[in-house]
Amino acid sequence: MQTRFHPLPPILKVENLSISYATRHGEVEAVRQVSFEVNRGMTLGLVGESGCGKTTVAFGILDFLGPNGRIVEGSIKFQGRELIGRSEKELRLLRGDQITMVYQDPMQALNPSLTIGEQLAEVLVVHRGLSHAEAWRRSTEMLERVYMPDAPNVMKRYPHQLSGGQQQRVVIAMALLNNPALLIMDEPTTALDVTVEAAVLDLIEDLKRDFDTGIIYITHNLGVVARVCDQVAVMYAGELVERAPVKALFAHPLHPYTQGLMRCVPKLGITKEASRLYPIRGRVPAPQDRPRGACIFAPRCDYATERCRNERPMLQEITPGHSARCFYAGQIDPSAWQPSEEIEVPAPGQRVAPEHEVVLHIENLKTYYEQPSRSVLSLFGLGKKQYVKAVDGVDLRVPRGITVGVVGESGCGKSTLAKTIIGLESPTAGVLQFLGFDISMPVTRRDVQLIQELQMVFQNPDSTMNPAYTVGQQIARPLQRFKTVPPQQVYDEVIRLLHAVRLDASYYDRFPSQLSGGEKQRVGIARAFASRPELVLCDEPVSALDVSVQAAVLNLLLDIQRQYGTTMLFIAHDLSVVRFFSDLVAVMYLGHIVEFGPAEAIYAPPYHPYTEALLSAVPIPDPCATQKRIRLEGNVPSALNPPSGCVFHTRCPRRSMLPDQGKVCAVQAPPQQWNTEQHYILCHIPLEALRKMEPVITSC
Amino acid sequence: MFVGDYMTRHPLTVTPDTSIVEVQGMMAENNIRHVPVVEKGKRLVGLVTRQNLRLSPIELSSLNVWEITRLLSGLKVKDVMVRGKDVITARPDTPIEEAARILVTHRIGCLPVLEEGILVGIITESDLLTQLTNLLGLQVPGWRATIRVPDRAGEFAKITAAVASKGWGIDAAGSLPTPRKPGYWDVVIKISAATRDELVAVLQQIEGQELIDIRATGP
Repeated sequence: MQTRFHPLPPILKVENLSISYATRHGEVEAVRQVSFEVNRGMTLGLVGESGCGKTTVAFGILDFLGPNGRIVEGSIKFQGRELIGRSEKELRLLRGDQITMVYQDPMQALNPSLTIGEQLAEVLVVHRGLSHAEAWRRSTEMLERVYMPDAPNVMKRYPHQLSGGQQQRVVIAMALLNNPALLIMDEPTTALDVTVEAAVLDLIEDLKRDFDTGIIYITHNLGVVARVCDQVAVMYAGELVERAPVKALFAHPLHPYTQGLMRCVPKLGITKEASRLYPIRGRVPAPQDRPRGACIFAPRCDYATERCRNERPMLQEITPGHSARCFYAGQIDPSAWQPSEEIEVPAPGQRVAPEHEVVLHIENLKTYYEQPSRSVLSLFGLGKKQYVKAVDGVDLRVPRGITVGVVGESGCGKSTLAKTIIGLESPTAGVLQFLGFDISMPVTRRDVQLIQELQMVFQNPDSTMNPAYTVGQQIARPLQRFKTVPPQQVYDEVIRLLHAVRLDASYYDRFPSQLSGGEKQRVGIARAFASRPELVLCDEPVSALDVSVQAAVLNLLLDIQRQYGTTMLFIAHDLSVVRFFSDLVAVMYLGHIVEFGPAEAIYAPPYHPYTEALLSAVPIPDPCATQKRIRLEGNVPSALNPPSGCVFHTRCPRRSMLPDQGKVCAVQAPPQQWNTEQHYILCHIPLEALRKMEPVITSC
Repeated sequence: MFVGDYMTRHPLTVTPDTSIVEVQGMMAENNIRHVPVVEKGKRLVGLVTRQNLRLSPIELSSLNVWEITRLLSGLKVKDVMVRGKDVITARPDTPIEEAARILVTHRIGCLPVLEEGILVGIITESDLLTQLTNLLGLQVPGWRATIRVPDRAGEFAKITAAVASKGWGIDAAGSLPTPRKPGYWDVVIKISAATRDELVAVLQQIEGQELIDIRATGP
């Protein structure tokens, strides 16, 4: 027990920090009067939408603001010493020795031309002056400490030979080698799969305890905050609007912005009602457009009064340790909140009626990629051909007007399935029928009408829009191509579509670079729906977006779907989003659908062991909910050489439920066990045993 | 019970070139008395304590107030610190009683904790005294009983057996030779599961031992 009679000084104390950037529009204040403290062995979550100044605060602490950024006022005390005004040399010493940062993309933090071992050892050789052999030994120990399997061998590998989760572990190990007092993590798990994310978050918890490091954890994901943070600071438009211990924040959010954020996040609730999303209307104002001398959130706030528009509220402590920057903090009851007229929230989709006509019929679909063999024989065409079995025997029937969600880790074949349906990849075998027509040919050979009926919304709206065309031209293009409307009506139709995605006519002449991420995705949706398709494939349409934007886009998709009766195939790795959005859910693993059924059935026992593991990995935005802790070992095996029998048997945590430690799993393909008429599980474990399992998530 | 478990990790540090005025400010603001001096790579090069910062009365009497100010403002940590090998240090695997002995014999207040020359923490008198309070169970509410036992094998086992027979647990325990009474030891145990009367009844029954004090302690 580590009890102290006198409190230790905080590792980091930020007071009234304001940071501004010099731009063409003059000095722009990016961060305004932010104050917080970080103690030893404590994680402070810095939360907010993008553009709220979270990363700017981190860069301010590290003095990475670039030539045009500067700290206008305030104080940053690290270990009792003021950082502002120190020489470059002193700061560099501090940064290397006592403050480290972990970035979002691990691949960019690692040098691709050096082995992991060289990069890790270098830290100790340079900063600590250790001998190379000693540095190597310690680096290997640290890799083991971050639960890297086979650490001595990983030391000899290059970054590209590791998976994303392993790369992030290497980066975290590297950050900890110096035993820093302060660790700043900027969205360290955002780029990772949910199962990998869960393992990394567990690791961060352990390390915080063992190393007594103070952590600043920057994220937009409230689920992650609930899991790893002790204290939370909510930022909005460069200001700190609420600061509280994590439990208090989730139990009693005081600021209307925090309350709004909570309403945006899909929860893994048991009922659909609980998973309704209410986006915050409007969006984060650009720094130069922020209200001055007023509450910064007033333009988007449902409770704003005359006072909010004329006077700037100060951060006031409402209960001990819980402060909010709102005049009415503590007086607002979030449960009494009603959506204003401006936000329309469509009810989540209707239930599945079996009599619906089947729009998409997939039977035993296989998409293999041929892998060039390295053997000499193959030069003469004699080598044994190898295949990556990306999709391996998928059966799927999608009824009209229904949304089917597809979930799974990356590398499970979700995107290949979508690409095969849309015609970007040719199926190797199997039946692929759309509206009764065979569509196993590539998209270039498909009939125009077929293409018209089958559209797609892509993950990254940035890379799927031609930057040289205006928004209007982009949306008009499918209208002209498919002759959806007569040529003279194209303009009106584009405007109508823009309105449908809640953008006004002024967007017609804008270029993609003038749009925010959420707006771009709206244009992408308008474009996909322009030809009035029967089936729309959505490949991770919201994973690149902020929570409040995500809620708006999801609601928009639901709304449009209801209006047009469109069928959707919705691919996502976020199980709470899929839960909210889909009527039927297919869980994919290594090219197989291992569980399929109505959304409610997927999220309650009986589970496929893989579904169970996925659910237990989802970060839940509720610090008091309990969640079973099931962590999958290792990565998705290579699809080049998938495991025999049940493809999941190498990682299955439930295999021991079967006699002989599940010998049968390695030998025999699992049977399709039907739980109900619409719900099946691909597993050897009897349904009765699966039914007896506890639900993964119990809320308090 | 090793230094590594109870030391303060990430102690506040200064460099040899830090001014004395700044160190004084740091000490006052954070209420600390010792600051390790490190170079690049957290290699320990010295230690500053409040004593080092004090000017001797003889020196003071010969200066006027302006000279004192000038003297102070020009001074750097490296001018006053205890240097390199004169600093007495510990390792993370030093037992805490050993650390206490070093502090007492050298009449000092803290030990920087080093791992191959690199500063990993600091352990002070306060840290060790805090652990003394934990050792005797001050951090849990309950009954603190002092029992005087003869100095022979098996006496402590009698106590644990008596307590265990009731299904209670011992939250903390410690023993010292009885002062000014050779041949006896005083054992202190902390128990939270029992009421005072239950505990007294059980402890008084033990043959050859004497319950000399029982009181409630807690945080």
